[in-house]
Amino acid sequence: MPSSSTTSPPAGEPRGGTYALLGRVVTAALMLMLAAAPALAAPKAKITLWHAMGGARYEAITQGIAKAFNEAYPDYEVEPLFTGSYAETLTKAIAAIRAGNPPDIVQVYEVGTQTMIDSGAIIPVTDLVPPGAIDFDDYIQPILRYYTVGGKLYSMPFNSSTAILYYNKDAFRKAGLDPERPPRTYAELEEMGRRIVASGAARAAITFGWPAWIFEQTFAYHNQLYADNDNGRAGRATRVLFDNEFGRMVASRWAQWAREGLLMYGGREYAPNRAFLSGEVAMLLQSTSQVSTIEQAASFEVGTAFLPRIEGQPEGKSVIGGASLWVINRRGRTQAERDAIVAFLRFLAEPEQTVQWHKDTGYFPATETAVRLLEQEGWFAQHPNYATAFRQIQMGPDTPATRGVLLGNFVQIRDIVDTAMERIFSGSLTPAQALAQAAQQANRVLEDYNRLYR
Amino acid sequence: MEGRYPNRLLPYLLLLPSVLVVLVFLVIPSVQALVQSMRLVDPFTGRGFYVGLRNFVDLFTSEEYRHSIVVSVIFAAGTTLLGLSAGLGLALLVNQPLRGAWLYRTALLWPYALSPAVAGAIWGLLMDPSAGPVTYLLRRLTGGSFNWMVDGHLALALVTLASSWKMLGYNIVFFLAGLQAIPSELMEAASVDGASAWSRFWKVRFPLLSPVTFFLLIMNTLQSFFENFGLIDVLTQGGPARATDILVYKLYRDGFVNIQWGLASAQSITLFVMVALLTILQFRYGGRRVFYG
Repeated sequence: MPSSSTTSPPAGEPRGGTYALLGRVVTAALMLMLAAAPALAAPKAKITLWHAMGGARYEAITQGIAKAFNEAYPDYEVEPLFTGSYAETLTKAIAAIRAGNPPDIVQVYEVGTQTMIDSGAIIPVTDLVPPGAIDFDDYIQPILRYYTVGGKLYSMPFNSSTAILYYNKDAFRKAGLDPERPPRTYAELEEMGRRIVASGAARAAITFGWPAWIFEQTFAYHNQLYADNDNGRAGRATRVLFDNEFGRMVASRWAQWAREGLLMYGGREYAPNRAFLSGEVAMLLQSTSQVSTIEQAASFEVGTAFLPRIEGQPEGKSVIGGASLWVINRRGRTQAERDAIVAFLRFLAEPEQTVQWHKDTGYFPATETAVRLLEQEGWFAQHPNYATAFRQIQMGPDTPATRGVLLGNFVQIRDIVDTAMERIFSGSLTPAQALAQAAQQANRVLEDYNRLYR
Repeated sequence: MEGRYPNRLLPYLLLLPSVLVVLVFLVIPSVQALVQSMRLVDPFTGRGFYVGLRNFVDLFTSEEYRHSIVVSVIFAAGTTLLGLSAGLGLALLVNQPLRGAWLYRTALLWPYALSPAVAGAIWGLLMDPSAGPVTYLLRRLTGGSFNWMVDGHLALALVTLASSWKMLGYNIVFFLAGLQAIPSELMEAASVDGASAWSRFWKVRFPLLSPVTFFLLIMNTLQSFFENFGLIDVLTQGGPARATDILVYKLYRDGFVNIQWGLASAQSITLFVMVALLTILQFRYGGRRVFYG
């Protein structure tokens, strides 16, 4: 091999020997790949699932559902990928769709429903699933109805929840209250709350998770519309209605609780769980998806109950929250892959799977069959807290007000309402002012949205 | 020192990677941001329409954005002032010939190595309104409730505290270097001339530290505008009621959570202009007071 040659090539160019070496390496690599090709050529239809299930739910998806599906269907493979929070997952999905390399299925929260419907990037479930392939009649109807618009089911329900009242039975006992008699109305809540605080059983009576969502729940629970056009279901919503008399009344009630020290604000989303688990606050309005987490983490006896009703108001129904699975339209998808997706969606609702998912998380079991199974097992009898949310959504009439509101840019509107709630709790604005301001901003958001999707 | 390259093309080839990186990651996105800031877009398809300066008008007439500017200024000022004064004070203390000075220096420097998100998590846990040890102590001592999840002023104070704590190590290192660069003859001459410790500091040390102070002023301000996103995201998420909604965080919210790309791009351009102006101003007027000995 030439070392100190006097005729070295001009600086910057590889020597002849290097080229030859490079050539040999490339040839070897190619031959290796060809040899490995048969192993790579196994025809598994692979589908990707992007989800936002962290914590205990992550194991339930990857080790539970995905693994079981892959074993049951050796020709198909589902690859779940945790992509952060719901907001992050949606952002990543958008970027992937734009880049032309989207996942097959993405989990989007319920507030993203209108956005996804208008995105032009999805295949509605009704269009994808061949008739008869999935028994939709067996599904819990309120859940299906949320994701059905104009007679079409757009996304597949997966993790549905609703809000319920959690309460600290030990604190109730300490305050001299019957732990099996949680408050059923706002008046009872106020009375019991005052006794709890006065007796020192807790520093505050109640706190909310997801304040804007609880506000929406309150409207649906009393059969009040949140936005026009039948809550955005008869056509795109153009105006919000939450600054009406009912909204102001509810907000004033809550502001009163905050002033009295009954309501302690603990932050958005799941942050208030800390206040409840530490015993600082005796009651918590929170998603039923937290049942497992809260029961496991609590050092006291946890009870659950229906959301309290406001006296003298009409009866409605609580609203579905959580998320669903959307199938993204991807060019070049093979028939095998389409079949895989349909098989996966059906698999999710198989009694064994949905029962296990429910047990692991607290989200609703998807079908009536699953519910019957759980009842036969005696699960609900042993774990009454898991049954509360489920029984709650069975009660009440089915009207546009109770089906759940659909808003464009709903995420932003939730943020606006959360901010308004925070202003109300801190007392920096009166309920009327805060709601009026929020409604004005929300209407502007809807206006922009409708301009884009005319 | 000039070099001669054997190949006329070589210097450009060597520069090419850096130029490409700057082009791809800075110039092109900036141009894209500029274009997008003047449109209303549907994120899924990129379809949209031109709206001229509407996004900018919306920004500056929106009370939220103006509030965000005020919050950012207060946050930056608070962090910088606190960080610099505490940093200088601690640097002075640690500059003395103490036993185990290296231990103190390491301990003081160490928070800077944390990421802002971790710093946020630490302070969030310490000051948790329900379960935080510091909150508990404060409650026992003063009887007040320190729920920064409700009180916006407290939240801003907490965030400022956490952020200046994080910057402390950085400030101390530079101040220490600056202090040690001051020749001891000057200090001795001053005390021989009868200057008190106070005058010695303000008339000799502080002026000689001015290059360092100036540099740290700029760095702290820039850091509190840009680097503390993680802190805010972990600790307060811009709340409560937007009390800690600094410009960068509002940009994130509008861009990535609310998926309003036109508006977020407009904010991005505005932020860029603001920081450029700030830097120019600081060099123009701040540089005058600096004494380069």
